Amino acid sequence: MTKSADTHCPYCALQCAMTLKSPAALTPAVQPGSDPVPAPSAPNVSAAAAAAGGPATAPVLEVSGRDFPTNRGGLCRKGWTSASLLSHPGRVTEPMLKGSDGVHRPVSWDDALKLITAAVKDTRARYGKDAVGVFGGGGLTNEKAYMLGKFARLALGTSRIDYNGRFCMSSAAAAGMRAFGVDRGLPFPLEDLDGASTILMLGSNVAETMPPFVQHLQGARDAGGLIVVDPRRSATAAFTSDGGGLHLQPLPGTDLTLLLGLSHVVIHEGLADTEFIQARTSGFEALARSVNAFWPERVQSLTGVPADLIRETARRLAHGATQGGSYILTGRGVEQHVDGTDTATAAINLSLLLGLPGSARSGYGTLTGQGNGQGGREHGQKADQLPGYRKITDPAARAHMAKVWGVPESLIPGPGLPAVQLLKSLGQPDGVRCLFVHASNIAVASPDANAVIDGLRSLDFLVVCDFFVSETAAEADLILPVLQWAEEEGTLTNLEGRVLRRRRALQPPAGARSELWIMARLAEALEAPSTYSEDPETVFEELRLASAGGLADYSGIDYAMLDRGEAAYWPYPVGSSGTPRLFLDGFAHADGKAVMTPVAPRRRRTPAPPARDISRDIANQGAKSMTLITGRLLEHYQSGSQTRRVSELLASQPEAKLQIHPAAAASMGVTDGSFVSVANERGEVVCRAELSTAIRPETVFLPFHFPELESANRLTEAATDPISGMPEFKFNKVWVRVAAKGLQHSVLQTSEAS
Amino acid sequence: MSEQIVIVGFGPVAARLIDELLPAVRSGLARLTVIGEEDDAAYNRVLVADVGVGRTTASALALSDAAALIADGVDVRLGVRVRRVDRARQQVVLTDGTTPHYDRLVFATGSRPVIPNLTGLNPDPAHPVLPAGVTALRDLRDAEVLLQAVSGGKRVVVLGGGVLGLETALAAAEEGATVTVVHNGPHPLGRNIDRGGGAVLAASMRNCGVRMAGNARSTGVEHNAPDGGFSALLLDDGSAIDGDLLVLSCGVRPRVELAEGCGLSTATGILVDHKLRAHHEPHIFAIGDCAEVRCPDPSCSDCRAARGPSGLVGPGWRQAEWLAEYLTLLAGETVDSAGGGSHEGDSVDAAESLPELPTEKPGVIVLKARGMNMAVAGDNAAEPWDEEVLTAGAVNGRPRLQIAQWADPEHGRYVKMTTRGGVLEGLVAVGMPRTAAELVSLFERGDELPADRSLLLRLDGPDQLAAPGNSDPERTVCRCAGVSGTKIQDAVVDGCSTVAEVSGATRAGTGCGGCHSDIKDIIEKHFQAAAAA
Repeated sequence: MTKSADTHCPYCALQCAMTLKSPAALTPAVQPGSDPVPAPSAPNVSAAAAAAGGPATAPVLEVSGRDFPTNRGGLCRKGWTSASLLSHPGRVTEPMLKGSDGVHRPVSWDDALKLITAAVKDTRARYGKDAVGVFGGGGLTNEKAYMLGKFARLALGTSRIDYNGRFCMSSAAAAGMRAFGVDRGLPFPLEDLDGASTILMLGSNVAETMPPFVQHLQGARDAGGLIVVDPRRSATAAFTSDGGGLHLQPLPGTDLTLLLGLSHVVIHEGLADTEFIQARTSGFEALARSVNAFWPERVQSLTGVPADLIRETARRLAHGATQGGSYILTGRGVEQHVDGTDTATAAINLSLLLGLPGSARSGYGTLTGQGNGQGGREHGQKADQLPGYRKITDPAARAHMAKVWGVPESLIPGPGLPAVQLLKSLGQPDGVRCLFVHASNIAVASPDANAVIDGLRSLDFLVVCDFFVSETAAEADLILPVLQWAEEEGTLTNLEGRVLRRRRALQPPAGARSELWIMARLAEALEAPSTYSEDPETVFEELRLASAGGLADYSGIDYAMLDRGEAAYWPYPVGSSGTPRLFLDGFAHADGKAVMTPVAPRRRRTPAPPARDISRDIANQGAKSMTLITGRLLEHYQSGSQTRRVSELLASQPEAKLQIHPAAAASMGVTDGSFVSVANERGEVVCRAELSTAIRPETVFLPFHFPELESANRLTEAATDPISGMPEFKFNKVWVRVAAKGLQHSVLQTSEAS
Repeated sequence: MSEQIVIVGFGPVAARLIDELLPAVRSGLARLTVIGEEDDAAYNRVLVADVGVGRTTASALALSDAAALIADGVDVRLGVRVRRVDRARQQVVLTDGTTPHYDRLVFATGSRPVIPNLTGLNPDPAHPVLPAGVTALRDLRDAEVLLQAVSGGKRVVVLGGGVLGLETALAAAEEGATVTVVHNGPHPLGRNIDRGGGAVLAASMRNCGVRMAGNARSTGVEHNAPDGGFSALLLDDGSAIDGDLLVLSCGVRPRVELAEGCGLSTATGILVDHKLRAHHEPHIFAIGDCAEVRCPDPSCSDCRAARGPSGLVGPGWRQAEWLAEYLTLLAGETVDSAGGGSHEGDSVDAAESLPELPTEKPGVIVLKARGMNMAVAGDNAAEPWDEEVLTAGAVNGRPRLQIAQWADPEHGRYVKMTTRGGVLEGLVAVGMPRTAAELVSLFERGDELPADRSLLLRLDGPDQLAAPGNSDPERTVCRCAGVSGTKIQDAVVDGCSTVAEVSGATRAGTGCGGCHSDIKDIIEKHFQAAAAA
C-alpha cells in the first residue's frame, strides 16, 4: 500500500497542488503526510521520468499534479522535477564552518549554536544591537516568516530585518496600500479570470513564470481580449496572436506613460464608470487633470506604442467590464523600477476609472512571484512592519504585539532599513556587522550584486541557512543545513491570499534542522524574552493571535480546517468565513473609498559620472549602448540555486544567453551563439548571444538565474523607488560588444554527477 | 525673505511651471503669483479641437485647479490682464489697478492665432473682431462655436493646411460635419512634409471624407447667411467655397506686446538665452510659445540654426520643468544670502552649475486623428536622387545624407527616412502606425537605425502577428514540460492514442494545457497516415 502526501509545489506563488508519493517499491509511510518516507537504497527508474528524459536516479518521491482551482492538475517542468533535489548529493546535511583556509568543514550543532551566540553577543557589545542584521525570504512558510520577525526584534533586539520580497512585491504592495488601504496580490480567486472578456497584463510573462496559470487566460483569448504589455514578444505576448488579443511593445521604462495614456482615453472618450467613481473613490478631479497631458499621439511618441492601439486597449477594457469582466494585472516588469510604485498606482487608477475593483467579475491584481511572497510580506519580516500587516510605527499595533508576545512595548525596536539600504550598510560604520540570511541568495539576486558580495565579505560574521551551498552560502562563515519543502509542515499563502497547507512526506536528513528549531535554540542561548516554539502548528496558533485585528487577519484559520481542504482567504477573522473577494462592499480606508493618487513620470536625472568613466573606455572598444531588461526562464526559479541543480532543467537551459535583435547583433558583428560582453560601470557579464526578433532592437534581455560571470545583477542598479525601496531591475544602460573569447563555465554539481 | 515669482499667463506651459514650483512655495522658499486673462485656470489647449467636435468636454481638459493652488498658498488671479511691466520698480501693472512686485518675472503669454488679411475680416491683428460664422480655434469659446456647427450638421470650411487644421477637419468630418480644407501649395502641411508624403496625406484625408482644396489663394469672406454671418470663402480665381462656419487655422504668432512694451528684445518671440533669461535682464524669463531661444552670443552655433518658437507644447513643458528647477535654486540662494548663511556660495554654484536645457530638436508632428496615422519630423524634403542636396555639407568626415523611401499610394502608405550616419534627421510616415511610432522614438533618442531599413516597414505587416510556424518537428510543442514534437510523435508511435496517454508518457500537456490541440493534431496525423497505408 502506497501512502501519499497532498502538498503544494516548492517554487512560485501559484503554489500548484501536487501529491508526493513514495515509489511502490519502497517502504510506504504509515500515515499520510506525517511519517517520513525513507530515502531509496537503490536507483529506481520510473517510466515517466525516463520518458521525459529525467534523471537516471529516481527521486525519492514521485510527483504528480493534483486537481486544485489554481493549477487544475497541471504542473510545469520545475514542479515535475522538484523532488530530485531531495536526494541531491550536493545537499548540506551538517553545519559547515569556514576555516581560515576558506574551506567549509562540518561542525556539530552544539558548536555551531555556540559560535553564533558568541558572535551575536560580541557584535552587540561592540557595535550595538542594530549591528546584527537578518535577511529573510519570500520562500519561508508563514510560521517561519512570523518567527523570524519575532526572533530578530526580541531575541536579537535589532531593527535591521528585511527580506527579498523588497525586490519583488514592495512596489505593488505600496501602491495597493495607498489606493485600497490593503495589499493582497489578487483580491479575488484566480478562477474569476476564467470568465473575463478582457485581461490586460503588464510586465508579466506567466507562460514562463507560472505556466499552469495560462489556463485562466483562455476565456479572454477566446474573446480576443488578452492584451499583453511587454517590450519583448514573450511567450505570454505570443498568446495574443491569431486573434487572441493585442500585444503592446513599449520602450523599456515607459510603462507609466502608457498607463497614463490609457487613463486619458478612458476619461476623454467617456468610458469611465462615473457612478462608481462618484460613490466609491476619491481624488478623481486631480487624477483627471494629471492625465490630461497624455493624449494618445503624445504617448505614442514617448512609448513607441501606436495611438490607435492605445485607444483600442482602453475601449476593450471598458467594453469588457460590461461583458464578462475586465481585469488589469501587473507583474515585476512594470513594478521593478525606481518609479515602480507610481507605475502600479497608475494601473490601479486606470482600473478605478473603469470601476473594476470591488466588482464581482472585474478587478485589479498584482501577480505575486515567490512561493510565499504573499504570506511572507504580511507577518513581520519587513523592516517597517509587524505581524498581520501592521505598521511598526503604529502605537496600537505595537501595543497589540507587546501583549501577544508578553513583553514591554519598549522592547520592540522601531523601523529598520529596507533591503537595498540594509545590504549597502554591510560592514559599514554604523552598519550591520553580523548577518543572518534565510531563504535568499542575495549574492546573485540583489541589484549591483558585485557590491553586495563585497559587503558580505566585509562582515564580521555571516550565517546562511540553506540546503545547498548557494553563492551566498559560499561566502558564509557558518552554513546551517535546513529542511526542504517535502520535509516540513507549515502553511503558505498563495497569490490569491489563500492560505494553504504544506505537508511533510519525507524524513529529513539526520543533520538538517528547521529554522524554527534553530531560532528556538538561539533564543534560549541569548536568554530572549517571550517564547519560540519549534512546532509549526503551535507557531501558527500564535500567528493567529498576532494577526487578529490586523489587515491580514488569520485568526479564524486553523490547521484542521486547512487539512479538510477548506478555502481560507484572508482576512479571516474568528467567526467569519474568510474573504475570497475583497472590496465588494468597501475599500480598507477609513471612509471606505479607494484613493486615486495622481502620478507622473519623473525625469530620470543623469547620474554623476563615476570617478573613472568606464563607459568611455568601453565605447572605444566598439561597444554599443543598449537598454538591459531582465527576467525569468521557464526552467529556472529565482537565483537558480535549486533549479540549476536539477539535471533536466540545467540541460535544457545550461547558461545565461543574451537575447538580442538580429539587426542590433549584425551591426556589432555578433552572431547567434557567439560570446558577448555586456558591461557598465557596475560590472560585466560574458555569455552567449541568442538572436531573436522577439525583442526590440535597442533592448537586450538577460535571465537572472545564473551566477558569477553570467550574473545579470552585476549590471543592475541599486537605485530605489522612494516609496517602496524597490531597486531598478528592468531599465539599465549597458554596453554590448563581441567578447574577446569565451570563458570557462563553472559547472555546478548536478544530481547526474553522482 | 522669500523670493516673489510672478507668472504672466496661465496656459498649459504656465501650469507645468506652477506644478514644478509648488514644493518651493509649500516650503516657503518662494511666493508665487499667477495672472491669467481667461476666467478658467489652465486647460489643455492641445485638445480644444476635440471639445469643438464633441469628443471630450471642457471640464475634462483642466490642467490646474485654482482652488487647490490657492490652498497651497499660490496667489492666483484670473480674468485679469497685465497692462504693462514696470522694470524699474520690478512690478507689473494690472487691469484691476494692482501692482504686484516681482523678483523674477516669467512670461508665459503663449501665442494668438494669425488672422489672415481677407476682405471682410477686421485687419487689426492685435484686436481682431471676427464676424459671425468665423472663428479661430484657440480657446474654449472658439470650441463652443465649432461644437454648435458640428452638432448642427453644418458645412465647415477650414482655412489652413497646418496640423491643427487637419486635425479639426478630420475630427469634424468623423463626427458628421461636411468639411473642406482650403490650403495653399500642392499639399497640406506645407514645408513640414515632402512631396510624396504630402500627396499620400491629401489622398488619405479625402478617404476620410474631407474635401481638400489645394493651391488655393483665398481673398475674402462673404457674409450672406440669413443672420448676416459667413456664407462662403472667396478665392483669387473667382470661385467660392460655400459653408456655414469658417475655421481660421493659419498658424499662431507669439504674444510679445508686453515684452516689447517694456523694452525687451524680441524677434518672432521674446528673445531668451539658454537659461531662458530675457537678453540683458536677469529678472525676467520667457517660456513656451512666446519665447524664442537665441542667445546674444553671435558665435553660438545652436542659435544660428535655431528656427524660432515651435508652437508645440512638448518643448514648452521641458522649458517649464527646467526653469522651475533653476528658479528654485535661485530662490534658495536669495534665502541663504538674506539669512547671512555661509552656504551662499553653494547655492550660487548650484544654480549656475545646473546644466543648461539642451537645444530642442526640430519638432515632431504626430497627427491626432482616429481614422488615420501620420508622423513627420525634421527636414525630410530631399529626395533619394538629389545628389547635390544629399552631399551638401558632407565635409570634414561628416557623412552625407541618405534617404530610404517606401511609397504605396494605392494603400495610403508612405515612409521616408532621412538619415546621416544612420541617425534620423527627418522622417515621414503615413498610414504606418507602428513604423511611425518606432521612427519617432528613434528620432527623439538619436539612435542609429538598423542597417536593413525595411525592418522598420515590416512592423506593420500582418506577418508580425502570425504564430510561429509549426512545421519543424523538433520544435517545442509543450513549453511547460519542455517536450518536443518528435518526443510526442515517438510516444504516439509507441501506442499513445489520446492526449491523456501522451501526457502520461511524456508530461506534454500537463502544465497549462495550451498544447492539447497540437498534441491531438500529431495523433490524428499519425493515424491518418497509418490508415492511408
